[in-house]
Amino acid sequence: MLEALLRRGSVGVFLAILLGFAVAAPNFLSVGNLANVFSQSAILGVLAFGLTCVIIGGGSNVVAGGLDLSLAANLGLCAAVFSRLNNAGLELWLTVSLALACGVAVGLINGLAVVLLRLPPLLATLASMNVLAGLELVLTENTVVPTDSPLLDLLSGGAWLGVPALAWVLLVTAGLLTLLIQHSPYGLRLHAVGEYPQAAEAAGLRNARYVLSSYLLAGLCAAVAALCSAAFFSGSTTGSGDMLLSVVAIAFLGVVFSRRLVASIPGTLFAALLIGFLINGFQLLNVSSFWVNGLQGVLILLVVAASSALSRGSHP
Amino acid sequence: MPALNLQHVHKRFGATLALDGASLKVERGTVHGLVGENGAGKSTLIKILAGIHTADAGQVSIDGRSYHRLSPRQVDALGVQFIHQERLLPASFTVGEALFFGHELRRGPFVDRRRQQREAQRLLADYFDLQLPAGALVSELNSAERQVLQITRALIRQPKILVFDEPSVALVKREVDQLLRIVRRLRDQGLSILYISHYLQEIDSLCDEVTVLRNGRDVAVVEPRHTSSAEIARLMVNRAVQEMYPKARVAVGEPLLQVKSLSLARRYRHIDLQVRRGEIVGLTGLVGSGAKELFKTLFGIEQADSGSIHLQGRLLRLRSPGQAIAAGIALVPEERRSQGIAPALSVLENLTLAGLGRFSRWGLLSRSREQAETARLIDELAIKAPGPHAAVSQLSGGNQQKVALGKWLSRRSAVYLLDEPCVGVDVGAKVEIYRLIGRLVQEGAAVLVLSSDLPELLGISDRILVLHRGEIAGEFRAGEADSDRLLACATGAVPAAAVRAREVEHA
Repeated sequence: MLEALLRRGSVGVFLAILLGFAVAAPNFLSVGNLANVFSQSAILGVLAFGLTCVIIGGGSNVVAGGLDLSLAANLGLCAAVFSRLNNAGLELWLTVSLALACGVAVGLINGLAVVLLRLPPLLATLASMNVLAGLELVLTENTVVPTDSPLLDLLSGGAWLGVPALAWVLLVTAGLLTLLIQHSPYGLRLHAVGEYPQAAEAAGLRNARYVLSSYLLAGLCAAVAALCSAAFFSGSTTGSGDMLLSVVAIAFLGVVFSRRLVASIPGTLFAALLIGFLINGFQLLNVSSFWVNGLQGVLILLVVAASSALSRGSHP
Repeated sequence: MPALNLQHVHKRFGATLALDGASLKVERGTVHGLVGENGAGKSTLIKILAGIHTADAGQVSIDGRSYHRLSPRQVDALGVQFIHQERLLPASFTVGEALFFGHELRRGPFVDRRRQQREAQRLLADYFDLQLPAGALVSELNSAERQVLQITRALIRQPKILVFDEPSVALVKREVDQLLRIVRRLRDQGLSILYISHYLQEIDSLCDEVTVLRNGRDVAVVEPRHTSSAEIARLMVNRAVQEMYPKARVAVGEPLLQVKSLSLARRYRHIDLQVRRGEIVGLTGLVGSGAKELFKTLFGIEQADSGSIHLQGRLLRLRSPGQAIAAGIALVPEERRSQGIAPALSVLENLTLAGLGRFSRWGLLSRSREQAETARLIDELAIKAPGPHAAVSQLSGGNQQKVALGKWLSRRSAVYLLDEPCVGVDVGAKVEIYRLIGRLVQEGAAVLVLSSDLPELLGISDRILVLHRGEIAGEFRAGEADSDRLLACATGAVPAAAVRAREVEHA
């Protein structure tokens, strides 16, 4: 009952919101504005893909399952690394590689803390979040570090087939991760490991490897999002940690956009766009963006409450 | 050459010797049963076979080749598959995904969902005549269908040996019959099967040979064709009832707790029972018998579908444990550490926790009253503690249990539900706990004890009710029953109706 309501209701709510804004704000559905929403959703969306991988591999229990609270801080650190190295005159490919490596390394540390030290992900990544935020401050001295690079120009200004480059990043990342997570044997097994570890073990899977890999993917996503962020703000900026709430909201909201009510990459893409449309619509209607924050909090509460009600009902 | 041969397997966990030279031989193309009481070493033996544990000594031969150390992957490659008691299938998976995950059918680098789906439907129809809607999710299946899925998943690996570990626990009668048919057909197709169950009826109708484990050793290998279930049950138990049950003479009064035709879907059916003032009634049943769930219902944790519960003639509608406590029902749960006591709190705090109202005035606790009551209880129950302010976690298991019981003593409930009151308690403390239970009834309470320790039940109860697959399968008076008969009844070795009729006649 609740399940059916969530499944059908969520898409309905999505469409109703679009319709409402389209009526209230005349240029909401213009091609320019839609493209705008897609590119503005890229940073949060890619981060939320990372969180989605972790939730799939660790299980969707908010307290004991997979969670990566360090994603936003990881983005901040990667962006700072990129900006500093780029300003130091390193070659672009090396700068990009090192920024990506930084993200993956953070993922590796998180993953090892969860798999080897058996820390609850909630605490492990809460701790690493603080460490990363500190490192970022060391690198940036808590100021904006502007930087300039052809890659960033391409990402922020470029377009192909009328679609802005950041929107392409969002869609291509979503496409690749969908193939990996939803359609490859690896992805299917990752689902099994997260949802029913004993079953995965009985099927001969080495659970720890899968869980670790999900944190590596999350780290990679943070680094990719960091490049988008650097392009968007023309360098490293402070306050990346503020994105955490939105990222968590998107990843858990994504659950209601899948038939089976589990975290999925397409579901997360939908949720990222929904949040993007909300922010954008409120801007067009001149509603303070503070409301969006409150709304996200409410959405997290609703989705987590609904999903825990579901899991109480379905498990014998 | 046997399909499977475990010889003189020893395994020790810390201080406990789980297996003490157990042997087990499964002949090719037969169904071999493995039975034993809880703690006899069945699951340890199976885990060694599965490569989860390594034996300290002894060897495992599969298909004539001996191994000292096995890994789960190796066991899989050798053609041994396990069907566990739990259905190890992720609930959000489709039938196709659940059958093939770990060994997916692929197209290029991707999972070929359509072919998995087709294969799943073909296999389920071929093996079991089971039609499931395309794209059905595991969460939409009932437990028998999940069981079939689990078996099919094992069969896909084309095993030579199938091990069923308590496969029928969550199934109802009709589903069990279907399971037994499936197992027989697999045997007829040439598979060798090891079937572990504590339902002796199943063992009796299914197995060609049975190994009985007791205290980590194989005490007998028998053929059910020539051996009665009662004899197998006797081989499983074989214990002397110790003289350790102090039994107080208490006059039995009016009924305090009356349960009429209580039913909860898939858990228990038509439960009628009453416990009178001054009476200790024992309740026993195997895992899956519904006894635990019955207890939960009586304490308001779960609600029954139909039937009624009366306390002192008053109809109770329990929606929460709080209501049960207010009505005068106390529960001492089995999970002492997580539910029975608050380990970090002191002896005093634990002992007064259930009756705080009695120690407070104007909403504040009266320390002196608490201390007086605590001192009295510590003394009466002979709780060995450094002092009333010591944390309960510092006490031994037996003393923790005394605190868990004493907590309710400070409240004087009408009915006490005791769930495995002496599990994990040393012998000396057991006797004191039995004495304590005796005191409860002397003071006019009614006590219902749920226990799987049959000698204990026989020793302390006035009457014993045995549950089997959700129904009361037998009712025995103290002194008229023994462990063998209780176990025979609990395992279904004796047809339920017969026992009940005979006992009633007797009475």
